[in-house]
Amino acid sequence: MKKKNAMNKHMQGMLAIFIAMFVALGSYLTYSMVTYGDEWFSTSYNPRISAARNIADAGSIYDRNGTRLAWSEGDKRQYAEDGDMRRAVSHIVGDVHGKSLGAENYFAKYLYGMDKGILDKLETGSRGADVYLTIDAELCRYIYNNMEYNGAVVVMNYQTGEILASVSAPTFDPSTLGEITPEDEEGSEYLNRVTQGRYPPGSTMKILTTAAALESGVTGMEIDCSGSAVIGGQKVTCPTDGGHGHVDFTSAFERSCNIYYAYLSVELGGSNMLATANQFGYNYEFKFPDFNMLKSNFEVSGESGDLAWAGIGQYTDLVTPMHNMLVSAGVANGGTVAQPNTLLDVRYGTSSIYDYSTAQFRSIMSAGTASTLAGLMRGTVDHGTATSADIDATTMNGKTGTAEFVENGQVKNHSWFVGYSQDASHPLAIAVILEGAGYGSRYATPLAGQVISKAVELGY
Amino acid sequence: MILKRYGAGLILTFMILFLLTAMLLLSFQDGPFDGGVFLWGVILAAVIVLQYNILSAVFKHIDRITLLIADFLCIIGFVMLYRMNPEAGERQFMWIVVGNIAMVAALIIIKRVRDFGRANWWFMLLGILLLGITLVLSTSQLGANNWLKIGPFKFQPSEFVKVLFLIVTAYFLSTRQRKRDMWPYFLFTIACVGILVLSTDLGAALLFAGTFLIVFYVGTGNLGITLLSIGAFAGGAYASYYLFDHVKTRVEIWQDPWAAYEGKGYQIVQGLLAIASGGVLGTGLGNGMPTSIPVHETDYIFAAIAEEFGLIVAVALIAFYLVFIVRGILIAMDARAKFDKLLVFGSTCMLALQSFIIIGGVIKLIPLTGITMPFVSLGGSSMISSMMLLGIIEGVAQKNGELDEAELAEMGGGIE
Repeated sequence: MKKKNAMNKHMQGMLAIFIAMFVALGSYLTYSMVTYGDEWFSTSYNPRISAARNIADAGSIYDRNGTRLAWSEGDKRQYAEDGDMRRAVSHIVGDVHGKSLGAENYFAKYLYGMDKGILDKLETGSRGADVYLTIDAELCRYIYNNMEYNGAVVVMNYQTGEILASVSAPTFDPSTLGEITPEDEEGSEYLNRVTQGRYPPGSTMKILTTAAALESGVTGMEIDCSGSAVIGGQKVTCPTDGGHGHVDFTSAFERSCNIYYAYLSVELGGSNMLATANQFGYNYEFKFPDFNMLKSNFEVSGESGDLAWAGIGQYTDLVTPMHNMLVSAGVANGGTVAQPNTLLDVRYGTSSIYDYSTAQFRSIMSAGTASTLAGLMRGTVDHGTATSADIDATTMNGKTGTAEFVENGQVKNHSWFVGYSQDASHPLAIAVILEGAGYGSRYATPLAGQVISKAVELGY
Repeated sequence: MILKRYGAGLILTFMILFLLTAMLLLSFQDGPFDGGVFLWGVILAAVIVLQYNILSAVFKHIDRITLLIADFLCIIGFVMLYRMNPEAGERQFMWIVVGNIAMVAALIIIKRVRDFGRANWWFMLLGILLLGITLVLSTSQLGANNWLKIGPFKFQPSEFVKVLFLIVTAYFLSTRQRKRDMWPYFLFTIACVGILVLSTDLGAALLFAGTFLIVFYVGTGNLGITLLSIGAFAGGAYASYYLFDHVKTRVEIWQDPWAAYEGKGYQIVQGLLAIASGGVLGTGLGNGMPTSIPVHETDYIFAAIAEEFGLIVAVALIAFYLVFIVRGILIAMDARAKFDKLLVFGSTCMLALQSFIIIGGVIKLIPLTGITMPFVSLGGSSMISSMMLLGIIEGVAQKNGELDEAELAEMGGGIE
C-alpha cells in the first residue's frame, strides 16, 4: 500500500510537469503570434499574399491628401503618373512583387480584402479596401528632386507620430518593375534606407551622450581642444584645424567637439552609456505595427578608447535614419517619443474601417533633460555647426553629424542632420543622411532646412 | 451520475454540430451544393454517435471525456484533411473506423488480462524484429526509412511497437522488484531506441526514450538509475548532434529558420506563416492556403488547422490534449493493479510526449522532429496505435469502475 502511494505521488508530480509543458505550448504560441504574427504574415515568403493578389479587385493607395499613388486597371497595377513622385514614394508604397516591402505588402490584408469575413464579402463583393497613407506625396517628390546623393530623408509629426515624408535614394520605378534587366539594377535600390539602412550616427550621437551626462549631472567639464588627443591608446581627432580651443559643456555641443565628447563618454563610463543607449531604443527589436525596422546597435567593449569612439557615434554604433529621427522627436516632445505610423485610414468606398490613433513608443529621457537639449540644439542652429538650417519659416533646433566610413580603402564621410521645428504649430521632426557627401553641416543640414521650409509651406 | 451523462452528451451534440456545419460549408466549396461531400459528414457523425452510445451503454465506467476528446480530434482532423484533399479525408474516415475497432479490441483485452505473463518475451522479440526488418529493408529503398511495405499495405512498424513497448514496460516494472531482474527490459529499450536512431526516426526515438524515463521513474522511484539514464540520453543526444548532420541541421534551423528559408528552414517558416496568416479567428474553413505548407496532411496538420480555425482553436486543441492527459493520469492513479497503473500511465505519457513534440516543433518552441499528431494526422498506423492506447486507458477505467462497484456492494451499499 505504501508503495502504491509513492507511485501516485510520482504520478502527481509528472502531471504537474505535463501541465507546465502544455501551458508553455499555449503561451508560447500565443506570445509568438501576438508579437511576430503581423511581421511574419507580411514577409515576401508568404505565398498567400501573392495568391490573394487578385490585382483586379485590389484597393488603391492614396497619400494623406487623396493623391492616388497606386491602383488597379484591369489586371495591371498602376502607379502615380508623375514619374518623380512615383519614384519618390516607391519604397513607402512598395510593389506587388514583394521586391521592396511597403504598403503593398504591409497593408495587403486591407488592399485585397483578406480581413473581410464571408458575410462582408456577400455584402460588398470581393473588392479590397482603399488605403490612405500618412505621407504627403508632394513633400516626398520635393525631397527626391533635391537629394543630390544617395541616402534617406524622413519627416514626422512628433506630436501625432504621422510620417509625413520618407524618401530613400537610389530608388526604383515600380511601373517598369519586372521589365528591367539585371544590368539596369544597381542592387540596392529596393532597400528602404529609412528603416533598413544602418549607418554610424557620427556626431548626431552626441545628443545621446549629452542626455547621459545631463541625467548623471556631469556637466561641469571644461577642456582645451588642440585638435587631437590620445584616449586609451586610440587617437581621437577634431576635423577643425588647430582644434576648438577652450570648450565647455554648451560650446562643445554647439561646435561638435569630438575630443570633449570622447573624454565625457569615458567619464560617464560604459554601463552608464549603455543604459542610456538602451533607453533611447538601441539594441531594441522595434515592433511597429505599420512597418519593419532594423535594430540599431550600441555596444561597449571595456576599452576606454572604444568607449570614446562610441560616444561620438563611431566604433560599432549603427542607427537607422528613422530611429535617429525618433531621437530628435523625443527631444522635441519633452522626452517622449510618439510611435511612428504610416497608415492613416482604410476605407471601403466612403466608410472608414480604421481609426488613426497616436500611441506612445517610449520615454527616452526626462522632460528636464529634453528641455536642456532643446536649448543646446537651438544654439547649434543659431550659432553652431548647423546655421544653414536656420530658416525663416520656423525655429529649427538640431545637430549635425559627419560619420566616417571606409569604402574601397578610402575614408569617406556620411553627412547627417537630425532636428526639429520647436514651434508647436509646426511639429516636425527630421533626419537627413547623404551617403559619402562630406560634412554634415555642408550637405545634410541645408537640405533639412529646405525640406522643413517646404513642409511648413505645405501647411504642416 | 445523470447530470454527468447529460453533460457529456451535450458535448457530443456540439461536436456533431461542428462536424456537420463544417462539412456543409465544404459542400459549397466548389460552387453549387455537393451532396456527396455532406454525406461524408453525416456518415462520420453516425459512426461517432453510435460508437459513443454503444460504448457508454456496454461499458458504463469508461471515461467519457477522454473518449469525446479523441473523437473531436478525429473530427477536426477529418474535416481538415477532407478540405485539403477529399481523397485523403475518405482514407482517414476508413482509418477512424478501423481505429475504433482496434480501440474496442484493446479495451476488451485489457479488461480481461492481468499482465500478459510469458507473452511479454514474444512481444519483445516481435518489437525488435519489426524495427530491425524496417531498418534493414529501408537502407535498400532510400528515403522512406520508417515504412514497411507488405503487398499493397504500407505501415509504420514503430507505431505498433509503441504499444508492445508500453506493455513490456508495465510488465517488467510491476513484476520485478530487483533491478538486476530488469536487464532484459533495459536491453529491449536500448535496442528499440538504438534502431530508431539508426533509422533516423528521431521523433520516435525521442518518444521511446522519454516514455521510458518517465515511466521507469514513476514505477520504481529509483532516482539513481533515472538520472543515469537521463545522463546517457543527454550524452547520446549531444553525440548525435556531432555524429549526424541531420541532427545538427535540425537544431540550426530551429534557432533561425528564416536564414535557411531556401533550404531546410522552408517547412518551419511555411508553418509559422500559415499560423500567422490565420490570426486569432482564422481565415475560416476553405479560405486559407494550408496546402502550401509542406507535409500538411501529417506532421504539419496543426499549422493547417491553426490557419483556418485560428489561434483560439489551436490553443483549445492544446488544452484538449492536456485535459486528456489529466484524465489519463487520474485513471492510472485510480487503478488497483500495478500493471494497469503503469500501462495507463505509460500510454498517457506517450500520447502527451507525442503531442508535445509535434506541436512544439511546429510552433518552434523546440527543434522539429517529424512525428504524427495523435488522432489528427492522416495515417492508418498512427490512428490505430493512438486508438489502441485510448482503448487501454478506457479498459482500465472500466476495470476501476467495476471494482469500485464491487467494493461498494461488499460494504452493503449500492449505486443509486
